[in-house]
This record gives sequence, structure tokens and C-alpha cells, in this order.
Amino acid sequence: MSTGGHNRATMAGRLSVLVGALSVPAFVGVWELIARSRIVNAVLFPPPSTVAVAVLDWIHSGQFFGDLSASLFRVTVGFLIGTTGGIMLGVLTGRFRLLSSLLSPLFHILRPIPPIAFVPIVILWFGLSEAGKLFLVVWGVFFTVWLATHIGVQKVDRGLIRAALMLGTPRRQMLSEIILLGALPYIVVGLRTAVSISFYTLVAAELAGAFAGIVYRIEIAQQNMQTGQVMGGLAALGLLSFVADRSFAAIAERAVWWR
Amino acid sequence: MVAMMHNPLRPTSPLRLVDAVPEPSSAVPEAIIRVEDLSIVFDVPRGEVIAVDRVSLAVMPGEFVSLVGPSGCGKSTLLNAMAGLERPFEGEVTVAGKPMLAPRPDIGMVFQQPHLFPWKSVRRNIAHGPRALGKSKTEALRIADDLIDMIGLTKFASAYPHTLSGGMQQRVAIARALANQPRVLLMDEPFGALDAQTRAVMQDNLLELRDRINATIVFVTHDIDEAILLSDRVLIMSAGPGRILRDLSVDLPRPRSSAILTDPAYLALKRDCLDLIRTEGRKAFEQMEAVT
Repeated sequence: MSTGGHNRATMAGRLSVLVGALSVPAFVGVWELIARSRIVNAVLFPPPSTVAVAVLDWIHSGQFFGDLSASLFRVTVGFLIGTTGGIMLGVLTGRFRLLSSLLSPLFHILRPIPPIAFVPIVILWFGLSEAGKLFLVVWGVFFTVWLATHIGVQKVDRGLIRAALMLGTPRRQMLSEIILLGALPYIVVGLRTAVSISFYTLVAAELAGAFAGIVYRIEIAQQNMQTGQVMGGLAALGLLSFVADRSFAAIAERAVWWR
Repeated sequence: MVAMMHNPLRPTSPLRLVDAVPEPSSAVPEAIIRVEDLSIVFDVPRGEVIAVDRVSLAVMPGEFVSLVGPSGCGKSTLLNAMAGLERPFEGEVTVAGKPMLAPRPDIGMVFQQPHLFPWKSVRRNIAHGPRALGKSKTEALRIADDLIDMIGLTKFASAYPHTLSGGMQQRVAIARALANQPRVLLMDEPFGALDAQTRAVMQDNLLELRDRINATIVFVTHDIDEAILLSDRVLIMSAGPGRILRDLSVDLPRPRSSAILTDPAYLALKRDCLDLIRTEGRKAFEQMEAVT
């Protein structure tokens, strides 16, 4: 009896793995069938095979790597600047009440404005330069990381701080070790949210006008009615942010190393 | 002075040697902890609460003194004032002749919760104090290793705190407090969160440890057995506002072990304490009833 139940459980497990493995291929297959069935306009809704050809062309033309590195540069540098600033100010506002009274109300007013809404003013300020694109990503990332750090710092166990005080921990070490590491579990959650935000803001930044980049390529392809290229660009963007999120999750697990 | 200099673990303050301000000449040795007319008041939403009310006491070098009283009687607040974690509202606390206005590394503290740094191994936790005071890494780790041997956790030197039991964590916390070679060790219900068996073992450990470290110890507890077993003196506090009700000397022979818990002298002492605390507890309860 029990072996029968066990077998049934493993069968169910294998079945769900199999279905999981078939999920994407099945979707692509159905898409191919529908696009080729002439129910829909294949120019507007190209089959995956056409998309694949467009992507290969994109890679062969040499533009793909230029676009990829332009987008990666904006996301990475923007993310690094925004999160560094967010963490530093979060530690300070979380720890020093006066500074918090000075900055928190301002940050709470600015935080809910979607970064995309800043595109027009960013174009006025920075034109179509790289600085403007970085500004948008930095802006998008900063507030999330600031808030996560600020809350994390306030949640640091007061007992830890007292213990550190009793041991003669200097002020600087108190901030850079006890407070920062005490808040790290919260900060890491903020950073992970920031990874996806940096991709959202990248889209806004490149749609606002650029000379290279994955989203820029999507927009150009749209203007030329290259729907295969548009969809290939979307797929590349999806894959890129998926990889970024997963690798960040792996890093985050190790960042809080004592758990 | 001469007698104290034999003890390398309790260095005499160089200030006192230089200043050499003559104390009022008396045969009584100088107290290491002096609390004078200390009051501590907390602001609460409905006004003020007097946590400690004009308390005076003195603790002699090398003494083990327990503060006992019902919960909320201000014993922890009094201890925090000795640690420099709580500022006096009135009066003064001096340790080794200097007023306590902020924590000082020559005063160690063990809390009810171990409060170990979760990101540091046992060894690094204990080495934290010496490192913070500017000792080299090698030196700090050597101090840590000695203490780890002393608390019997050699096998766990590189373990992280969350992998240890509550009793082991508290042993690490004690070792960490001792790493700075404090002249005064303050302990705030350090065994209060442990189960009865672990607590008994920890008490025996502390008795042994005390003979080796020679620090002055002030120990807060609400467990009378624990207080009498460990202390030279038991100060019984009353609740709301916190005052010292009675100062009892524990003239039981040392070295002690939990075996004294059935000694007649011990039982007489315990009865005194219990009577006092019971009367006080009832008073506090009636006060609370009257207020609400």
C-alpha cells in the first residue's frame, strides 16, 4: 500500500517536472501555429521562427553587442550609484534623528513619483546624453534602497548596539559594522527590488531618445515595421532582467553570510 | 593600593597614582562603585515614572553584590546607570572614582539576552572588544582563544552564534564581556532566559569563573536562590519607586556550590528575603490596584 502511494507521489512529481519543461516550448509552438494559420496578420504578429531570424540578423550585424553593452552600462552604473547613495543616506537618516527630520519628508514626497514622469525634464536638463539616462536609473533605484536601509537601520536590535557600546566600539565602527550589518537583511531586500526598478527606468530612459541600447533598437524596429526585431528585443530584455534578478538572488543569499 | 597591585587583572587607575588626592583617612578600603542619592525618572505618555528613587550604595573591590526585587522595581535601571547606559536624573554614580556618563570599556556588561553579533564567529565575537580598543588582531584573537578555553567552548570557536544553544551563547557573551579585562562586571539577569538545568550549570560556572577573574560583580536577578548562592551581599529593592530596602550580608563559606541550598543558615537568610519581598510585592500590587 505504502509503496503504491510512494510511487504515485513520485509519478506526480515527474509529471509536474515534465509539464514544467514543456511549458515554454508548447507556448512557442502554439504561437508558431497561430501566426502561420493566417488567422492573424503575420506582419504584426510574426511567428517565433521569424523572430529568431531577426535576432540572428541582429547579432550578425554586430549591433546586438553594442546595444547590449550600452544598456548594461546604464543599468549597472545607475544601479551602483543609486544604491550606494541610498545605502549611505539610509544609514545616516536611520541613525540620526535630526537628519531624518530634515530629509525623510522630502524623500517621501519624491519617492512615489514614477521615474518615467521625469523623462521630459531630464531631456531638458541633459539632452540625449548618457548622463540623463544614468540620472533616471539612479533616481529610480535610490528611493527604494534608501527606504529599505532606513527601516533596516531602525530595526537593528538595540541590544546589539548596547553590547557594542559596552565593548568600547568606536563611533565609526558602530556605523560601518554594527548598524550596516545589522540592517543588511533589509538592505538586501531593497537591492533586489532595485534590480527590477533599474530595468523599468532603463526602458523609460532609452525610449526618451538614445543612440544605442536594447530598448532603443526595439523602438527603431517599430518605426520600420520590423515586428520580428521588436519581439526579439523584448525577448532579449526579458532574458536579461531575468538573469540579473536570478544572479542577484544568488548573491543576496550569500551576502547575509551568517544565516 | 599595594595589595591591589599584586593583581594584574585589576590595574589601578594611573590617574589616581598621579593625582594622589588623599582620601579622607579611614581604614575602610575605597569603594569601586559608589551610587549617591541616585534618582532616575522616565517620561511616559501619562507623565513621569520614578524608576530609581534616591538610592545610595557602595560596592567594594572584588565584591559580588546582587540586586534583587520584583519585576519593574528599577534594578535593571540602576544597573544601567552603573554601566553609563542611563543618565542620572539626580545624584551621581561613580566607578573607580570617575562619574558614569557614558559606557566605559573597563566596565563589562552581560545582558539577559546574549546579544552576540550574528555575523561573527564565537572567536571574533570575543575578540571584538580588544579590537575595538585598538589591540592587534593577533593579540585580540589570543585573548579570545584563552577565554574560549576557559568557558569550555574550544570546539565551537569558529561556529556562528545561531548554531549554539542558549546557555552556550550566554557563556560566549560572558567571555566577550571579560575580554576587555573589566574591573567591574555588570550582569542583568544573565541566566533569566535559560531553563532551570542550564541555569544551575551556569551558576556553578560563574562561581568558578569568579575566582579566576577577580572582577567586582554586580548581578541583577529576581531569583533569591541565585542571589544568595552567588553573592557576598544581597540588596533587596522595593518596587515603585525603586529603593533599596535591605542590605544583607551572605556569610556562607566559599567555595560554594548548589549544595548550600539546603544549609540552615542559607534557609534562614532566604526566609528573611522572601518575607521582605512578599510584603513589598503586595504593597506594589495594592498601589497598582489603587491607581487603576
